[in-house]
Amino acid sequence: MISSINPSMKMVAVLLPGILLGLTYDVFTPLMYFIFILIVTFSMTHISILRWLKLFSPFLMLAVSFAWMTMLYANQTFSGGQEMFRFWLFEVTSGSFQTGVSVGLRSLCFGALSLLFILTTDSTKLMLSFMQQFKLPPKITYGILAGYRFLPVFQHELQTLRQAHRIRGVSRARGIKGSVNQFRRYAIPLLASGIRKAERVSIAMESKGFTDDADRTHYHNMTVKKRDWLFLVLMIGVLIAVFVLSYYFGYLQIFGRQF
Amino acid sequence: MTKNWRLKEIVLMSILGVVFGVIYLVFFIVGEGMRNILAPFGLAPFGYEIIYGVWFIAPIMAAYILRKPGVAFTAECIAGVVEVLLGSAAGPGLLLSAAIQGAGAETVFSLTAWKDYRLRILILSGISTAVISFAWHLYSAGMIALAPWLIVSTLAVRIISAALISGVLGKWLSDQLAKTGVLRGYALGKAWQRKRKHASA
Repeated sequence: MISSINPSMKMVAVLLPGILLGLTYDVFTPLMYFIFILIVTFSMTHISILRWLKLFSPFLMLAVSFAWMTMLYANQTFSGGQEMFRFWLFEVTSGSFQTGVSVGLRSLCFGALSLLFILTTDSTKLMLSFMQQFKLPPKITYGILAGYRFLPVFQHELQTLRQAHRIRGVSRARGIKGSVNQFRRYAIPLLASGIRKAERVSIAMESKGFTDDADRTHYHNMTVKKRDWLFLVLMIGVLIAVFVLSYYFGYLQIFGRQF
Repeated sequence: MTKNWRLKEIVLMSILGVVFGVIYLVFFIVGEGMRNILAPFGLAPFGYEIIYGVWFIAPIMAAYILRKPGVAFTAECIAGVVEVLLGSAAGPGLLLSAAIQGAGAETVFSLTAWKDYRLRILILSGISTAVISFAWHLYSAGMIALAPWLIVSTLAVRIISAALISGVLGKWLSDQLAKTGVLRGYALGKAWQRKRKHASA
């Protein structure tokens, strides 16, 4: 199960394929890898398909808009081949169509990888793992956790501010000047109270003996086991396999150059 | 580097990350409106370019308030981590681009040896962040396949957004905060107090 993989290792296993996929400009490679991510997502996690689709739909929109932009405006290196169809003033060639679909599929891969990580990772464990595996200083680890815990408080404060404004009859702002003013009315009090909280919570932590000593004990020990390495090898290995396969079939394209 | 940072400064960076993470979501709706108008012409991603500067506010404000080496880079990385912690669907990718953007912001401050925090330096820092993050997107989002005029105009929009939102708005917000007195314990607040003493003397 992916939710028990070490978060730091999972981060690497998700980021590396994301970076490497940026090299390809053919349809086959990102499509195959996307299918692989889907298989991993639905066979090795407990995410329900409906929930996944709901979270994935913004990525789909983004991918379509990127693909459409690339199709219409691809440059000469990427827009060879026959004209496929015309749209208003634009002509879409087979080359630019292919590049567009490839770019769209690539961002679908990013989205699916990202969801795979986010839906299976616990926030606190992620930070603890960053501290223990990547040697992030404890001061930064717990500093981040302390700040992030204030999110619900901020939401509550935002609501209070809104109600306070309404009760005093401050109406919704109109125009650019009005919206700048409105932005200031919300942002300054929110930030000011945030900074006060930062000060208070850090004094409280330090007065209770929190130091930046890297040589500390941990309540939750995060370890890297064999299966964490296996997961990393799986994610990278399949990517390499897809690249090789795509080269073998003659699809592979890196930066518009056919291999 | 982290040795001479105090815990409250790190928590402050984290809180900046949280607040602007929330504010970005508000701006995101504006971006989506723009996108829907531009979508048929294939220019949908432009809608987001306009609000891109919001991403760069946290490092520039943190550097301006705390005035220490490495703050801009760390603050942007923290903002990226916070985004992951909040469960943002684009999390891990944001972490990567945050590190790249943070490096862009830090470069300009390092060139002034972390001594100069005038408006022009903040704007330059925003511009450098925009350029470096754009270089990354040329690669990762496949924008290098686009027509040269489109690449140049996208970059121009991002630079303007970064200069205005992160440079000008970031400085203005920090100064407004300093006026309230909450920054008394940080470098910017101390600079304000000194200025006030000069004015009254």
